[in-house]
Amino acid sequence: MQGIIRTIRDGSGFDILLLGLALLYLIIFSAFPIIYNIIMSLQTVDMFTLTSFNRPFVGLQNYYDIFSQPVAGTIFWNTVKFVVLSIVFQLSIGFGLALFFQQDFPGASYLRGLFLAGWIMPALVVGAIWKWLFAGDFGVINYALTSLGIADDRIFWLSDPNVALYAVIIANIWLGIPFNMILLSVGLASIPRDVYEAAELDGAGVFERFRSITLPLMRAQLGAVISLGVIFTLQQFDLIAALTQGGPADSSNVAQYWSWQFSFQTYEISLGSAVSVLMIIFVIVVAAVYVRSTRHEHSY
Amino acid sequence: MLQIEIDHLNKHYGGFHALKDINISIKQGSFVALVGPSGCGKSTLLRTLAGLEKTSSGDVRIAGQSVIGKPPRERDVAMVFQSYALYPHMDVEHNMNYSMRLRRRPKEEIAERTRTAAETLGLGNLLDRLPKALSGGQRQRVAMGRAIVRNPKVFLFDEPLSNLDAALRVHMRGEIRKLHERLNATSVYVTHDQVEAMTMADHVVVMRAGVVEQQGSPLDLYDRPANRFVAGFIGSPAMNFLPAAAASNGALVLDNDGTQQIGLNRGMTHGRQLWIGMRPEHLSLKPCVNDMAIDATVTGIESTGSMTFVVLEVASQPVVLAHGGRPETRKGDQVRLHISLDDLHLFDRETELAA
Repeated sequence: MQGIIRTIRDGSGFDILLLGLALLYLIIFSAFPIIYNIIMSLQTVDMFTLTSFNRPFVGLQNYYDIFSQPVAGTIFWNTVKFVVLSIVFQLSIGFGLALFFQQDFPGASYLRGLFLAGWIMPALVVGAIWKWLFAGDFGVINYALTSLGIADDRIFWLSDPNVALYAVIIANIWLGIPFNMILLSVGLASIPRDVYEAAELDGAGVFERFRSITLPLMRAQLGAVISLGVIFTLQQFDLIAALTQGGPADSSNVAQYWSWQFSFQTYEISLGSAVSVLMIIFVIVVAAVYVRSTRHEHSY
Repeated sequence: MLQIEIDHLNKHYGGFHALKDINISIKQGSFVALVGPSGCGKSTLLRTLAGLEKTSSGDVRIAGQSVIGKPPRERDVAMVFQSYALYPHMDVEHNMNYSMRLRRRPKEEIAERTRTAAETLGLGNLLDRLPKALSGGQRQRVAMGRAIVRNPKVFLFDEPLSNLDAALRVHMRGEIRKLHERLNATSVYVTHDQVEAMTMADHVVVMRAGVVEQQGSPLDLYDRPANRFVAGFIGSPAMNFLPAAAASNGALVLDNDGTQQIGLNRGMTHGRQLWIGMRPEHLSLKPCVNDMAIDATVTGIESTGSMTFVVLEVASQPVVLAHGGRPETRKGDQVRLHISLDDLHLFDRETELAA
């Protein structure tokens, strides 16, 4: 007992305790589910075998089954479009707003704070509101488009297979802008003002300062925002559930929602696992890029 | 030839009047120091010359041309920032030649001028280093290099040495001055350190609260300070001030102590309140020619080895005496303090102007 108290007091045992707790947490809540998921993706798992661990091992059969699904190609390209378009617009609009609010004008910081409103709302609520906005008959978006003469006829945003995916993407872009803006604002604020002034004296115009000072110095933040954006976009489930449920006819379905459908709607749990394992591999690659990008952070 | 003319310049920040009717003329090739306590407007004035701050009224001419409303890049001025403001993602070479690359100068010219500047500043072997891999002194040199490759009309320095340690600061003081002479440049140098201003500049501008208190050559300011503020600001240790008043016969009498008459009579009106200014280095414990003497008590002795500062009390006012050796006096001694009448400075107590 004396010995234990002494090691805790001296700190030699305490650090191991802290480390152990963190490690234990990671093992129970992260490592175990991921490994269990990988194992399930290599077995046949359905409602009957769910409770026992002793399930038939099928190797990569589940992965083969996924790719032979007729909708696999659609869902793959939908996911690519969903991620790429969401990131491109979230990032460019978020960066634009961050640059805008970096300017010194009355109320700049309050207005910037207002943008966070979108971020603190649950995605399910955001989805419900966008569903009204997008509504074909009474939606305000159609009203605005037809009144302004931009669209001749009403667009059935959520039930037209040609536009349903883009409707989800638009809502997701809106949802992601505040996060991009805030993170990039922090990055912009950390660039010392006198570096810009030095560039101004050296003869750089506004565009040149952006190209040769802002962009290279924002490299770490841009890398972080893009990587996190990819991860968040691949996690985006609530919005799809609230808006289209992947429909009509899988026209707005994406990998993460498909995986959920397998596991929790049709109970083809091993297929759901296989899809999520593929997504995990992709996210690990993105995370590796993110970790590398943080190495470029500059100290001033 | 006048290189910079600042003509009735005013600057307001909202309700705050930061620069008040500034008039300064700077000759081509001269080294001008703007000196004053923090918040006096010296940096604002420098940034106004650079074009980083807008002016409210008045005119600034560089090489005869008004630069009001012109952006920094059209003014042909280079600035060395207090923080150096190096581009953190560019190596030394690219930091230095950024301005030339922006102007799309020929490759050979860029390489040649970067090399010359780097050699001048002893940066030749550091060209491929990033700023974060440099010491403070090296960063300072890169900041200077970035200015000199451009060969601008005017160099602006914003407290460039304040982030260096004392020894390096003294060394760089000489280097900057040498560089200035070699380039035959016109330099404006902001500092809060009056020693830096006195040792480097040909023309010193003392500012306080947005106003130019006095300008002139360093020794001019030292010998003939126009007011009590300049007298106290220029010189180290600072000038001693004792309150005095003119007696009925016109002679000066130390305040608080009507008994101590000073053998100085400038026929001042009876009752006029004054400050008597005495530089520590002019005070002596031994009589000298044409001197006056006052009674004092030694309250402390501070020695630096080469110099000894004797802290005294005269009519319950502290007075410092600087002695270029080791005086034979001890704490508690009653002494006679001597100063030549030619070295006395008088300031009106109401207007603070030299009397």
